[in-house]
Amino acid sequence: MKRREFLKFSTASCMALAAMELGGGKAFFRPAKAMASGELPGSLGAKEVYSVCEMCFWRCPIVAKVKGGKLVKIEGNPKSPANGKRVCARGNSGVQLLYDPDRVKYPMKRTGARGEGKWARISWDEALDEVAYNMKKVRKKYGPHALAYFDHGASAEFMRGLFMHMGTENYSNEPAFFQCVGPVAEAFISSMGYLVSGTRQYTDMGHAKAILLVGSHIGENVHVSHVREYIQGLANGAKLVVVDPRFSAPANKADVWLPIRPGTDTALLLAWINYVIQHKLYDKDFVANHCEGFEAVKEGVKDYTLEWAARICDLKVADMEAAIRMLAKAAPNVTIHPGRHSTWYGRGDVQRHRALAILNGLLGAVAVPGGLYLPTPVKTGKSECPECEAEVEEPDTSLKDDFPYAGNFPGNPTAKIIEATLTGEPYPIKLWGVNGVNILQTIPNPYDTMEAIKKLDFIFTESMMADEAAMWADIVLPGATYLERYDSLHTYDGITPYLAVRQPAVEPLFESKSSYWIARELAKRLGVDCYPCEHEVEYIEEELKGAGLTLEKLNRMGGIVSYKANPYRSRKELKLPTESGKVNLAVAHYEDDDFDPVPKFEPTPAPPKGYARLIYGRVPVHTFSRTMNNLWLHNEWPENHAWVNDEVAAKLGIADGDTIVLENQDGKRSLEVKAKVTPGIRPDAIYLPHGFGSRSKRLTRAYGKGASDQFLITHYENCPFTGASSHRTSFVRIVKGGKALDIPELRPLPREIPRFKKSA
Amino acid sequence: MSQYAMVIDLDRCVGCHACAIACRAEWKVPTEEGYRRNWVKRIGPEKTPYGISYTFFPGLCNHCDHPVCVDVCPVDPEERTFTDFRTGKKTRMEIKATYKDPFTGAVLIAKERCIGCGACVEACPYHARYLDETLDEPKADKCTFCYERLAHGEEPACVKTCIADARIFGDLSDRNSRVYKLVHKEGAKRLESDVVKIGPNVYWKGKKKDLHALFKNYAPRERTWEEVDNMSRRGFLAGLARKTSLKG
Repeated sequence: MKRREFLKFSTASCMALAAMELGGGKAFFRPAKAMASGELPGSLGAKEVYSVCEMCFWRCPIVAKVKGGKLVKIEGNPKSPANGKRVCARGNSGVQLLYDPDRVKYPMKRTGARGEGKWARISWDEALDEVAYNMKKVRKKYGPHALAYFDHGASAEFMRGLFMHMGTENYSNEPAFFQCVGPVAEAFISSMGYLVSGTRQYTDMGHAKAILLVGSHIGENVHVSHVREYIQGLANGAKLVVVDPRFSAPANKADVWLPIRPGTDTALLLAWINYVIQHKLYDKDFVANHCEGFEAVKEGVKDYTLEWAARICDLKVADMEAAIRMLAKAAPNVTIHPGRHSTWYGRGDVQRHRALAILNGLLGAVAVPGGLYLPTPVKTGKSECPECEAEVEEPDTSLKDDFPYAGNFPGNPTAKIIEATLTGEPYPIKLWGVNGVNILQTIPNPYDTMEAIKKLDFIFTESMMADEAAMWADIVLPGATYLERYDSLHTYDGITPYLAVRQPAVEPLFESKSSYWIARELAKRLGVDCYPCEHEVEYIEEELKGAGLTLEKLNRMGGIVSYKANPYRSRKELKLPTESGKVNLAVAHYEDDDFDPVPKFEPTPAPPKGYARLIYGRVPVHTFSRTMNNLWLHNEWPENHAWVNDEVAAKLGIADGDTIVLENQDGKRSLEVKAKVTPGIRPDAIYLPHGFGSRSKRLTRAYGKGASDQFLITHYENCPFTGASSHRTSFVRIVKGGKALDIPELRPLPREIPRFKKSA
Repeated sequence: MSQYAMVIDLDRCVGCHACAIACRAEWKVPTEEGYRRNWVKRIGPEKTPYGISYTFFPGLCNHCDHPVCVDVCPVDPEERTFTDFRTGKKTRMEIKATYKDPFTGAVLIAKERCIGCGACVEACPYHARYLDETLDEPKADKCTFCYERLAHGEEPACVKTCIADARIFGDLSDRNSRVYKLVHKEGAKRLESDVVKIGPNVYWKGKKKDLHALFKNYAPRERTWEEVDNMSRRGFLAGLARKTSLKG
């Protein structure tokens, strides 16, 4: 009964209701009772299963709460030194991933055209036989490299071994590398000798006296321990400098916000480096004893003044100066955050992050509290069981050949895999496996990706949800969620090292199977010698043995073992894993490949007249493009909004909340999206939170909600070092009521910056 | 008398929505539009006299000192025994369907007494209550400060999951508690206006610009409960219903 109807009640209906109540044998007002005995309310009294989250790749230790065989709640594992009792919105919503009615329930075979998403239910045997048959056939006909595998996360790890065993160099371990952290990984490996910012993030913000974020929007992107360290640093009084064209959540917490012209970050960083050197703000002892190439840097940056950068970056000299003074004053306890998502502009990405590494070195913020720190590896045993590795065969022409530093990292650039699939050059690629990654919402120019898929002999996915990638598959294998399976040991080597293991909270639903089971069954059919253990628990026990543990013992201890961290070094004992043991301020070996040992400013082309640069980022309740259909998360954040500068909006006659369409420089149009009119973004940029605008009808909640940034990113460039694809090299204008509106240029462009021109 | 209270530190809050979801998970709050015990609303980025602000309104029932939702409840009072879960002390008092707990100061709903009339939902100037119409018999529902969890020695679900420790929960009558210090020494503020002053026990702490934006957008400015002045009529109807059922 609706409340309104009740309020309009007549006496007659009141009596009718009362009579109805009586019919049930109960008085209208039952007497007050104490809390019902027996079952406790909420999650109280539930059975607890220790496990590890995988709503994102960060993998926080969790406790799954199970009542009557049903998962009712997820909380953080209170013994975890990283997240403790806490999980984020997504971690809390794992319950709804498990019970999502849109889950892929059975193995399915395509019945319609590719991309149509029409399937028929088949048996596991039929599905696996078909995948194995096609893998063997393609390998035999075209060679091992005709097989390609796009993967991300724990669900994909076993099958990656299988693809490698087949001899292909085309596994993309992971698209995340070539769409995300590739350039920052390369920059810091060459500068510091280790992976400062890859899957993990070795930045000690919790003890920092100042923090610099360039484009990073911590809090809107959520990795629980990372957020905690950042907030702890701020609560302790750390100063915060945020460089971002948008007034992001951390910009709101910042002491200085620098609303930089997109594409000019390296100019600002080089001017700061010069300023630090000219004003002798650098750590002289550290530079003298622990850095290589200071003189080269000093010479290389001498022309980059704050005044010059102010014009390039469209910032005020006073603000830039205040910011660098704030950071330098905190040295060496200063986090010059290396950044995570770094595939912005293609050409200059590695050098932008090199500039951040140089600042780190100059300020001595290495292996000290508040600076970059060193990982503390957690020792586990080695199990023979999950081994499935083989020598990858060398092709005559490798897809890595154009990118001299791609060889430092596993897998091949995704852009090149797609290009080779499209063109057959330098060799044909005829089969794709996809696991844990929605390639159409992740890799630029999904239109090319769709065309490439049409050329394949075969494509299959292992999926939990029928996302866009699954829509294109010939065979879809239903993967068990992280709440229904075991996975390899999870060790964390950050500032609070620990070991935990993923364990199932409930039995796999429907016909879904664990990724280990799927990989093992496929291996059997391929006749390869992989995954000899009958069950994953066998090899997990083997691995645990090396840490002096058993599964039973680990569970008795609360599902987690923590270790003492060794993140800092005294200046005397500091030896970095570079050749010299020192920070490479200049990277001498870059010269061998015609790259600059010291970064130079190379302008990124500005938007064509009438367009703004499309920038994007995260919302805190969603992971990539994979959680938009989750009931709880969807209801918190069902669609994205396009951020439009208020002055631009006024000139174009766009009001907050208006429905608009974005059109890019290649004429590609987005789905409808609402405008968020705000002073919190520069006039020359439009911001679109990532991952919305789903085009898979089988995601019944997410379908068609908001606009996809990826479907607007049709122009990209490859990082010349690693082959990673750029994602901030597309431009948009606004379409309202069917009419395309040019974005007025409110911030005139300096002469040094060319405009983007479409290549013929 | 104790008064449980919560302080939300906007300087720590990153707007991640973990609190809102943990609440849903714990209490199976219906997911249809309009049902929530606990929410995060985003404010801005917008201009304030103190600079641009992009902040949050993490909200919940305020467990007010003078809860108008209790005032407007039309159900006939009935005497009931209450037990303090900390001390085991007992007391008796008359309650309607919604009442202020004598030991914790939490505003609670005796579900079995609620007639689902929605008067409290309309009266709350903070829109913190909803009428759960997914039930066969609609009932009012809202945040209870996780009373049942407290009784079992657990924290409120939102506090427990808060990734930035931005939610601080405790007893405001305890001068040694953190909430006392945050409220009485560090200037955490109640979301009130000159017109609506009913003594909320949730407080927000933060930068001037963020509090300005929060109050500008979300401080209640209308005495919503004045609109339900036909309380007597509802009381009459409810009473009539009760008499009928007894007679029958």
